[in-house]
Amino acid sequence: MPKRTDIKKILIIGSGPIVIGQACEFDYSGAQACKALRAEGYEVVLVNSNPATIMTDPEIAQRTYIEPLTREYLEEIISREKPDALLPTVGGQTALNLAVDLAESGVLERHSVEMIGASLRAIKVAEDRLWFKDACRKIGLEVPASALVNNAQDALRLCDQLGFPLVIRPSFTLGGTGGSIAYNREEFGEAISHALEMSPVHEALVEESVLGWKEYELEVMRDKRDNFVVICTIENFDPMGVHTGDSITVAPAQTLTDKEYQRMRDAAAAIVREVGVETGGSNVQFAVNPETGKMTVIEMNPRVSRSSALASKATGFPIAKIAARLAVGMTLDEIPNDITKQTPACFEPTIDYVVVKIPKWQFEKFPGADSTLGTQMKSVGEVMAIGRTFKEALQKGIRSLEPSSPWRAPAETPDSLLREKLATPRPDRIHWLLTAAERGLPEEEICELTKIDPWFIRQIEEIIAVNRRAACVTVETASQELLREVKRHGTSDEQLAQMWKTTPAAVRLQRARYGVSPVFKRVDTCAAEFESFTPYMYSTYEDEDESEPQNKQKIMILGSGPNRIGQGIEFDYCCCHASFALREDGFETIMVNCNPETVSTDYDTSDRLYFEPLTLEDVLAVAEREKPHGVIVQFGGQTPLNLALELKRNGVPIIGTAPESIDLAEDRRRFGRLLDELKIPQPRNGTALIPEEAARVAAEIGMPVLVRPSYVLGGRAMVIAYDVNTVQEYVAQAALMGPARPVLIDQFLEEATEVDVDALCDGTDVVIGGIMEHIEEAGVHSGDSSCVLPPVSLTSAMLETIREYTKRLAMALKVVGLMNVQYAIQRDTVYVLEVNPRASRTVPFVSKATGVPLAKVAARLMAGKKLSTMKLPLVRHHGVSEVAVHEFYSVKSPVFPFNKFRGVDTILGPEMRSTGEVMGISTSYGLAFAKAQLAAGQRLPRKGTVFLSVNDRDKKHVGPLGQELHALGFKLMATRGTASALSAAGIEAQEVFKVNEGRPNIVDLVKTAKIDLIINTPLGRESFYDEKSIRRAAIRYNIPCITTLAAAHAAARGIRALLEQGTEVAALQDLHRGAVAASNSQAGD
Amino acid sequence: MGANLDDEEAAHPYIESLVVREFSQMSSNWRSAETAQLYLNRHKVPVIWDIDTRALVRHLRKHGALRGMVATDGTAAEQLVFEAKNLPKMAGQELASRVSCDKAYAWDKGSIELASPPWTEQAESAATSHEGRRYRVAAYDYGIKQNILRMLIDHHCEVLVIPAQTPAEDVLGLGPDGIFLSNGPGDPEPVDYAVENIRKLMGKVPIFGICLGHQLCGLALGGKTFKLKFGHHGSNHPVHNLLTGKVEITAQNHGFCVDPESLPSSDVEITHVNLNDQTNEGMRHKSLPLFSVQYHPEASPGPHDSHYLFKQFTEMMKENRRN
Repeated sequence: MPKRTDIKKILIIGSGPIVIGQACEFDYSGAQACKALRAEGYEVVLVNSNPATIMTDPEIAQRTYIEPLTREYLEEIISREKPDALLPTVGGQTALNLAVDLAESGVLERHSVEMIGASLRAIKVAEDRLWFKDACRKIGLEVPASALVNNAQDALRLCDQLGFPLVIRPSFTLGGTGGSIAYNREEFGEAISHALEMSPVHEALVEESVLGWKEYELEVMRDKRDNFVVICTIENFDPMGVHTGDSITVAPAQTLTDKEYQRMRDAAAAIVREVGVETGGSNVQFAVNPETGKMTVIEMNPRVSRSSALASKATGFPIAKIAARLAVGMTLDEIPNDITKQTPACFEPTIDYVVVKIPKWQFEKFPGADSTLGTQMKSVGEVMAIGRTFKEALQKGIRSLEPSSPWRAPAETPDSLLREKLATPRPDRIHWLLTAAERGLPEEEICELTKIDPWFIRQIEEIIAVNRRAACVTVETASQELLREVKRHGTSDEQLAQMWKTTPAAVRLQRARYGVSPVFKRVDTCAAEFESFTPYMYSTYEDEDESEPQNKQKIMILGSGPNRIGQGIEFDYCCCHASFALREDGFETIMVNCNPETVSTDYDTSDRLYFEPLTLEDVLAVAEREKPHGVIVQFGGQTPLNLALELKRNGVPIIGTAPESIDLAEDRRRFGRLLDELKIPQPRNGTALIPEEAARVAAEIGMPVLVRPSYVLGGRAMVIAYDVNTVQEYVAQAALMGPARPVLIDQFLEEATEVDVDALCDGTDVVIGGIMEHIEEAGVHSGDSSCVLPPVSLTSAMLETIREYTKRLAMALKVVGLMNVQYAIQRDTVYVLEVNPRASRTVPFVSKATGVPLAKVAARLMAGKKLSTMKLPLVRHHGVSEVAVHEFYSVKSPVFPFNKFRGVDTILGPEMRSTGEVMGISTSYGLAFAKAQLAAGQRLPRKGTVFLSVNDRDKKHVGPLGQELHALGFKLMATRGTASALSAAGIEAQEVFKVNEGRPNIVDLVKTAKIDLIINTPLGRESFYDEKSIRRAAIRYNIPCITTLAAAHAAARGIRALLEQGTEVAALQDLHRGAVAASNSQAGD
Repeated sequence: MGANLDDEEAAHPYIESLVVREFSQMSSNWRSAETAQLYLNRHKVPVIWDIDTRALVRHLRKHGALRGMVATDGTAAEQLVFEAKNLPKMAGQELASRVSCDKAYAWDKGSIELASPPWTEQAESAATSHEGRRYRVAAYDYGIKQNILRMLIDHHCEVLVIPAQTPAEDVLGLGPDGIFLSNGPGDPEPVDYAVENIRKLMGKVPIFGICLGHQLCGLALGGKTFKLKFGHHGSNHPVHNLLTGKVEITAQNHGFCVDPESLPSSDVEITHVNLNDQTNEGMRHKSLPLFSVQYHPEASPGPHDSHYLFKQFTEMMKENRRN
């Protein structure tokens, strides 16, 4: 069927900030959808609040709105743009929920917008668990027995009917948020009240458990003509009970016979038809009883998903791209398969390799959080590995996770503990499985404890068996056959080096001598049946190499690996931009990465894609095969940087800033000397290896101090210490944690304003890309702080100093490419906190705010272009060039995963914990801040009651805030101390009890919805139970909670702007056009 | 996954050897009766593994289907190549009679049911009872897959399997409601006796052919067949049904193909086309009750998208009986 001509303009909703359960896979799918629809001639209007996405690049859609994903903002955009249709299925659950809201509230009807891709009814049937179960039963499929409840009494009554264990799933939440498994009445009581609180509709499903059953997912597509294909089958290594986002998963399914698989395929087709998903991609999940083969349906998603992104990467079949075309009426047989070119997209991909996905968790960031894996997703990222066998893919996957060095259970671990580790799924279970196999625990026992299919356990045993044989020889005595066999099992050089008490380099040398090196095979959707035209490769130890390196000017870009807190989508964004820019300039670009969620691992992004772990061994293998003219390591965050020096030593040509400069900037002592030479002040600092030394250093510096380990990203394990004891304890603990690396101790600049600067340098000239003022004061990790561009409270003298220092630093470090500097300004003195001569987390935000794509420019500089030859919209300030800023304000705000980790304190500090970010744009700073807050999920109230409780340091400044809030018409409540501080400023606030002072106390008031905004600043080390419970209650009841006075002031400005300006939206294309015009008039200084 | 008797498609496997990248030494599936290795040992099928099978596939894609040898007795590779070169080529060989049954037999087993009841074609669930059998079908065995027989039973047929060379007259003597022409190995052209028989049966009773059966129909209708470079194998081939406009994902296993240009357009209508290479996948006679498909609608292994053809066959028999 030809595409529809009755619609011309299509609105696409993105998925907003990166959160657990909804990550950059939706940037990948959304960007694909935009590109596909544009290619078909439609005008695309895109809305997403997340600036760190490729989809919000102004050239992806015709009209790009970085605006909060709420009904009011969407309606404003719809009424301005008047789209004919809305595609709600490529922006995750966020877009789907918002689309349902827009439909049900009449917005779509009012503006004559048609929903394409999935109808409102189909979405409702698929999303409403009871409707969905009814639909399944109607077509004769089995589903776990269950009932919906909206109060605890009904829920408890259900227990007796269904029996334990029971699964509790709140309605309409992301990634299973608030869900859990209860094994008894007591657990159930708590679980159900939590689930009801988490559900936006105060409703939860209580379901019979199919714990321990085998779990499968089918990624399917259907078109208007009812053509139906399965793109990929995925089998979960971890059985039912662990959220699929937290399971190790395998494609294709490994332990089904054809008869069972076809039964599942028929069921998936029947479900998609019954639910009424007319076009697009869906995923359907099944559980199979391993004893009887009984199959039940778990759920379906009538949209592209995390699994569909994985399936796309696993097969080479771009689900979102095709889904977008199907939504406008095309049929699968009309769409060509990009990879084979000669065959249509209407087929089922065949896989002649095995794909393993392993999630990446970061519980170390959230002390107190329960690391047991269950029905609620807790991982922050994932890696995917491709091998010709499960064993090879599994081992490649394990080393793709960071740290990549082989993990070993302590030798003294008793078997009883080992058994407990096997029985309870936690992030490290795969390592315990390897340990169990190493110890020779019987297969049956491992299966019984883990409920993992015996076939998988056998695979692990086979890995151990070959490794054991390898361990009997040495690097010199290992035969060629054994070396080849162990490499064919996926064992890394690093593992072999450990076994053989030698270096990975020695292993590599021996392999080279024996000619045991990997070949590269292609992912081609068809298991080599047809010729493939897309160089999408993976390494394996086989006979034939298919990589066919080209004889072109080529540049290799190393990606950033799995998403982590502190190393997320922003780095992938930079890698993609490097590739886009260099392709435009005629280079052949080669991407190496192992993260299936990203745009960088889309085979469309670069000329050639190697889906490989980012370890020295794997990257060297690609480099040896491709022999690139240059390798870019400064865009992928810490992961490729850690490889830079070793790669260079092995003769790989690193382009851009020299690895030595990067190393210098990381080395406190050498860097300190450089700052002294450059006459740039920095906080007093020192390093210490042992507690006594630390105490001395801290005393010299003076309290408070900031303590942290060397070589960090995202402020891992950083604390602010107000006394020497804390410093000593910290150093003692750090020594226990790992190899002797010094602890860094810095003077902590209290009440300082922090500033982030991104700059470009070509070795000759420096251009300031953007100066961002942090809204929270120094001490909050820069990734967790909101910031505004251009700065709002810095004097021109301060700005001048910052520019001058930045220029000096860039030149001194001989930066070629990007550099990020963090400054702190305390009482008019500008200090340098940190310099990173590489891409930073803020690059995408700055690029969106200014319209100058910093990463693209930087990539070109690395490839040899000069700033002086580029036509950038620049302004000169006293000899330093800066990208012209606009007549609007951009605010970036972080988004936190606290609702996933019960019991974790939400207070901000030097440890980065945000998973994503949003951007608010407005002509006023206040509204930009309010929009960013709204986009991050904090809806600032326009009226009502504000509760204030501030620490002693803040009490002297709380008066003006109280006056402003009072002037805005708010009623104020405060704890005793804060109330008297306010009263001193002439503002009356109603006094409220703290938790331990009597009732009703503040938490009671929060729970009974008497409070509309909480301003609660921390008391440092004397933190009370009170505060934690207030902040936790705020999260539970979704009341905006502000934890710094600076942010509270910004919020007050934001509220004023909301009252005065109302809902205001603008397309990036218009904003940037205005800027270019403005900068042209100023050009030439 | 292992092996189980329910999934067998013939009395014994017809492959000469199995070549794989990795061969699982264990089975783990509730339906498994024994490991694949035991099963293949029992049937004396050699397995070689640790082979770069993708390289092999690419080789075949480039050079077309090749003759090959597998040896476990240490024979030198050059010797094996020499022997392989002396193997008879597939084209021109009449293989159907070698794999057909010796004498006619009745078949009465329907599809096996997995733990959950089938939710598609629930109406057919009564088919396995004897009273439910309403159509007598004589099924020519050119190398028939048993799931075809199971599907016929599921569709209310009484099934008699007959040897490949059974004369048309004898078949008509059985008074069948329909004739089924099975799949089978190799080149259709040398199977001239079957073409003769089909010509005699055309128009007398409804005929449904699959795979080799389809090619034989093509020849009987006056068409020609040709050899494909490396054939169609696997369970993911998209086939365009020209009558409905829909696409079916099908199981295929054939090296020869009917040339649609060679068919008399006055009599024959092309019904199915392969979307990958546009080769013919199905046809029907414009006036006589005869239709056939190149692919395997009985699947097993493979998707069930084309099960409807069995229903089409029984409908045709019903219609024919009414006339």
